[in-house]
Amino acid sequence: MSTQQTELKGTVKERAQLALNNDFLRQAVKFTTERLRSGKLKAAEEHGNWEEWRERGRQIRLHTIAHLDYYLGEFANNARENGVHVHFADTAQDAISIALQIAKAKEAKSAVKSKSMVTEEIHLNQALQSIDCEAIETDLGEYIIQLANETPSHIIIPAIHKNRYQIAELLSEDAGEQLPPETSVLAGYVRKKLREKFLQADIGVTGCNFAIAESGSIVLFENEGNARMVSTVPKTQITFMGMERIIPSWADLEVMATLLPRSATGQKLTVYMSGITGPKREEDGDGPEEMHIIILDNGRSLQLGDPEFQELLNCIRCGACLNACPVYRHIGGHAYGGTYSGPIGAVLTPALKKNVAEWDDIANASSLCGACYEACPVKIPLHDMLVSLRRRKVEAGHDHPLERVGMKGFGTVMSNVKVYHRALKLGKLGQKVVVRDGGIRAKIGPLKGWNSHRVAPSISKQLFREQYGELRSELDQQAKAADPAVAARMREWLTGRDGGASHE
Amino acid sequence: MSNARKDWLQQLDEASKQKQEQFLNGIAAKLQRPRMTQKPQRPLQGAPEFWEQFELGEVEKLEMFQRNFEAAGGYVLRAATLADASNIIVDKAVELKAMHVLRQDEQLLEQLGLEQAMPQVKVRSWNDDALEDWKARAAEADIGVVLADYAVAYTGSLALLSSKTKGRSVSLLPTLLFALVPRSSVVTRLGEVLKPLDELKRLPAGIHFVSGPSRSADIENDLTIGVHGPGIVYTIIIDEL
Repeated sequence: MSTQQTELKGTVKERAQLALNNDFLRQAVKFTTERLRSGKLKAAEEHGNWEEWRERGRQIRLHTIAHLDYYLGEFANNARENGVHVHFADTAQDAISIALQIAKAKEAKSAVKSKSMVTEEIHLNQALQSIDCEAIETDLGEYIIQLANETPSHIIIPAIHKNRYQIAELLSEDAGEQLPPETSVLAGYVRKKLREKFLQADIGVTGCNFAIAESGSIVLFENEGNARMVSTVPKTQITFMGMERIIPSWADLEVMATLLPRSATGQKLTVYMSGITGPKREEDGDGPEEMHIIILDNGRSLQLGDPEFQELLNCIRCGACLNACPVYRHIGGHAYGGTYSGPIGAVLTPALKKNVAEWDDIANASSLCGACYEACPVKIPLHDMLVSLRRRKVEAGHDHPLERVGMKGFGTVMSNVKVYHRALKLGKLGQKVVVRDGGIRAKIGPLKGWNSHRVAPSISKQLFREQYGELRSELDQQAKAADPAVAARMREWLTGRDGGASHE
Repeated sequence: MSNARKDWLQQLDEASKQKQEQFLNGIAAKLQRPRMTQKPQRPLQGAPEFWEQFELGEVEKLEMFQRNFEAAGGYVLRAATLADASNIIVDKAVELKAMHVLRQDEQLLEQLGLEQAMPQVKVRSWNDDALEDWKARAAEADIGVVLADYAVAYTGSLALLSSKTKGRSVSLLPTLLFALVPRSSVVTRLGEVLKPLDELKRLPAGIHFVSGPSRSADIENDLTIGVHGPGIVYTIIIDEL
């Protein structure tokens, strides 16, 4: 079973079209994002001083990333002290190869996984399956989309695009009996099914929300308890972390624990926040006997030292920018085509790939309204980054050739008065064939895109330029014949000022 | 662990240490400066200063904990003494016809006298027998009983630190969880629990904050309780402890 559709099919526009045609998806995404967004706003307001907390969060992330070599080294050394086997992976392939070595050495038949975007990014599930190790997603939403053979469409609510009837159908097939489309029954089925899987699994795979440099601990935020299961029950634990997940200390975790759950779901804290420091102690009765942490670069280091994109590494993966984004709310997560969707995905996907050409149209799936920046708990200027991406795309020659010709023509016409005037006159004549009721509806030439959804205004019969001379002389007349009363008042006011009156 | 496996792990670790140097040098090069080996100066650390001053009174603290914990779907009860707490647990166990109860092997929990009060129920204490399959015992338990290290009022959270006698499974696998908290262990802010961890020489393997029953909204935003962890969570705050 594969859980990823890695191939990009069509453009963002085409994928969005698919999403827009799916009425349920659009409603579900709108409802969920609205619920999460208002929850976040309420939680931030209730907590108070939100701007100060945001700024503190930003400062902690900026400092850590600016000294990443120090903190990451500190983390790795301390984790080893705790008995963890730490690994460094430059690429997705490196990370996979380390994970497979561990799984093979354990002769692992199954691995239970809690939510991890990094494992989505490197396509871990297929890799494990290729050595006959079953990979089981245990987050309720992730389990559902794994059964559907799809990818998550939202960082926080991965199965946002499925309704309960579709879910009942998927789970019924899995159960081999008909389950009613009732949430409690469906969740109860998954609890029972996965209970067995947890107890049988050879390996537990987790992601990592934060890694604490000074103690070598990893921290996981979750609501269901599956991440705790995965890190408590199986004998071997493999944790995947992006190399930028670091914070210096537990004191800093208070700031992240204040920002992350509130921004993600509006909760004061997720039901579980777990700090895991190494494998089980000799005398402990549970916890993994062997623990590995695989630290992944996979394009992240390309942002370091890049003044426009380094702050991308500050992201704490809360999903607030998705919920705030008017474009995401309309097209849903799958239209972005990468592991990460929404505004953060629109920047992160091309940035990690350093491949502007292939992913260029994603940068255009934004209205640059800045709602993502407003929502971001660590103040990443995503809208500025989107502009930078578009600029780089043009600089690299990946813009549309027709657009380039159009812009050049626009430049020529606008920079010369005579040419501009002639063009307008020509337009006035030419538009006669297409104007209906004062507007142009024909989807032709450059008007095709605009007119698909709107009506273009026609060029006015009497141009402003042509009226200008007349308007000007009217104005001059009025100025000369100023109201005598007003003139007197102004004179009086001016004389009053002579005494050196000051502002009071 | 077999020797071959130990050797193999050692090889992995050696390779990783070499890789680490290359990896970190690469980061320093990208940051356009030499490798940083000294702890950098930090003008700002942890929560904002004004937050550190925030401290609730005794009564408010307990009220806020209760409000937050209950808003998340948990229950908060008050007990004057350990004996009162014991009665609450026994009544619940009888009401729900519990067959298996698992508690941590803590002296205070032993003093609850659950074994004597419920002879019909199998009450076990975590990790007192090296030959027992403790995960299976936790998985079959109807009720888990733990002593929480702290309760945090502002977030409505219990803090549970693991040890030999304080298994992580006891608060995770049973259907219903009772967490006992001495009143003196209720603090205002999360930071009051987190910051002292920076001073500890060696941390416990598992530090878990629990803020109510396990939950999910993954199916049509419909809230479901008890997805993987306990679906019913009681905190009993004990005055005299």
